[in-house]
Amino acid sequence: MGLEFLARVRTTTLWVGAVASLMIATYASPLTGLAFGAGALWSLVNLALIERLIVTLTGLKRTRPASLRRIGLALLGMLALFAAGPLLLTRLAPHWLMAGFFLPFTVIVLKAAARLLLESRAWAAITRRPWRAALVVVATVALAWGALGALPRSGVARDAGSAALAASETGAAEGHAAETTAAESHAAEGAEHGEAKSEGPQEFPNVIGILAGAFPHATWAHFLEHYEVLVYSLFIALLLCFLAFLASRNAKMYPGRLQNAVEALVEALHDFIVGILGPKFGPRYVPFLGTLFIYILAMNLFGLIPFMHSPTSNLNVTVALALTVFVYVQFTGFRELGLVGYFDHMLGNPRDVTSWIVAPLIFPIHLLGELAKPISLSCRLFGNIFGEDMLLVAFATLGVTMLSFTHLPFGLPLHLPFLFLALLSSTLQALVFTVLSTIYFLLMLPHDDHEHEEEAHHAHSPQVQEG
Amino acid sequence: MDFHAALSLGLPIGIGIAAVGSGIGLGLIGQGAMQAIGRQPEATAKIQLAMIIIAALAEALTIYAFVTMFLLSSKI
Repeated sequence: MGLEFLARVRTTTLWVGAVASLMIATYASPLTGLAFGAGALWSLVNLALIERLIVTLTGLKRTRPASLRRIGLALLGMLALFAAGPLLLTRLAPHWLMAGFFLPFTVIVLKAAARLLLESRAWAAITRRPWRAALVVVATVALAWGALGALPRSGVARDAGSAALAASETGAAEGHAAETTAAESHAAEGAEHGEAKSEGPQEFPNVIGILAGAFPHATWAHFLEHYEVLVYSLFIALLLCFLAFLASRNAKMYPGRLQNAVEALVEALHDFIVGILGPKFGPRYVPFLGTLFIYILAMNLFGLIPFMHSPTSNLNVTVALALTVFVYVQFTGFRELGLVGYFDHMLGNPRDVTSWIVAPLIFPIHLLGELAKPISLSCRLFGNIFGEDMLLVAFATLGVTMLSFTHLPFGLPLHLPFLFLALLSSTLQALVFTVLSTIYFLLMLPHDDHEHEEEAHHAHSPQVQEG
Repeated sequence: MDFHAALSLGLPIGIGIAAVGSGIGLGLIGQGAMQAIGRQPEATAKIQLAMIIIAALAEALTIYAFVTMFLLSSKI
């Protein structure tokens, strides 16, 4: 039971505290969750500082200037903690703060007890026989069931049960109450928002929703909730920038793990796009299309992280992405073909009499085709990601409702198989978006390889059309 | 039959019909791609790429029905 025991306690507490505070924020009320989390964090930092202080003080090099600086820093940190304590106590619910504060000690006691139990002779006797172990497990479950059933129904249990029925809705009652009051004061947009929330299908809780539920009257929380999608997408973009910066900060001849992974990804994307667009135009569009792929993939996968939300399940984001592609494709057409060439392209490159006669018919078809591209791109991405999220929510809700008779805040993870489906379809949709954008560039760029075109004409190979 | 009843009957049927259509399409695409790969295994990468694109186009039709369903399901 040395320092590594304390390190393990710290990790466990961090995870348990995060999950527990998020659960409390979801099922009880967001502010209590925040109080619990703050208490646990305070206690953890306090323990870490004390540990550091003691280690430095009892260490061999305690008279070195570095150690002295460390001691000073630890003392300063503790002072700051004690200053923060009263502030937290006056602002947040004290008993939840205390509960959070005692979390690390509970973890220490439980870990120590488990250690004692694991080394004892009785434990060895129980685990040697499978049926005996199974019996003990069954007895424990039955005992826990009885103990939880004996709890007064008025307090936590019923709350949890009803919350479990409402499943993944964030701080349901408060959120909706706040929504309706906001709707009354903020006439049009608030009303629309509230209606959409109560009418539409439910969503998994996410961090911004919980924050907005915790501070229903704060302006910043309202702002965050209103621009939720933007906040998430900007956050993802910053995250990707940071990752790219980390990977390319000191590029070496023999790359480390991160640099290797990023280089492999970039190289694969480069080869893929140049393979479609050809070596002449390909390299110019690799940065745009590759970024599009990585960004969309990250946004799609972000929704699978608990308490996060994928921005691409909102039509606004996908329309923005598709419009970017649309504008860039048209710009490319004007730049590469020229004004005359562009209209020539839109008329279907008429060269003989017959094609000049059908040109007035071809033009609206081309025009509609160009306009249909962004609509189709954005609706496809939005529909897939939104549908996938809805599927996950529906099955998670089903799993929770199946166990709702126990009045426990648990559910069966029925949505687990669909998580893998979601992984697959997220990747596939990012790929499809990128490939279709690449094809749109290809269709707009001048085709100078005549052999290939003639070959295509002879074989009557199906041209890619807009769906 | 009032508006709401018609909508709540029609939406699932509509999405089902759309799914049937793109299911047939996806099956044909898959069949064609598999045959092509069987005939020319060295062109697998190219064929798969084309297959994914066309499959996405076929699948998009169901997605449009799905999006329409979500747009209209708030009116039930």
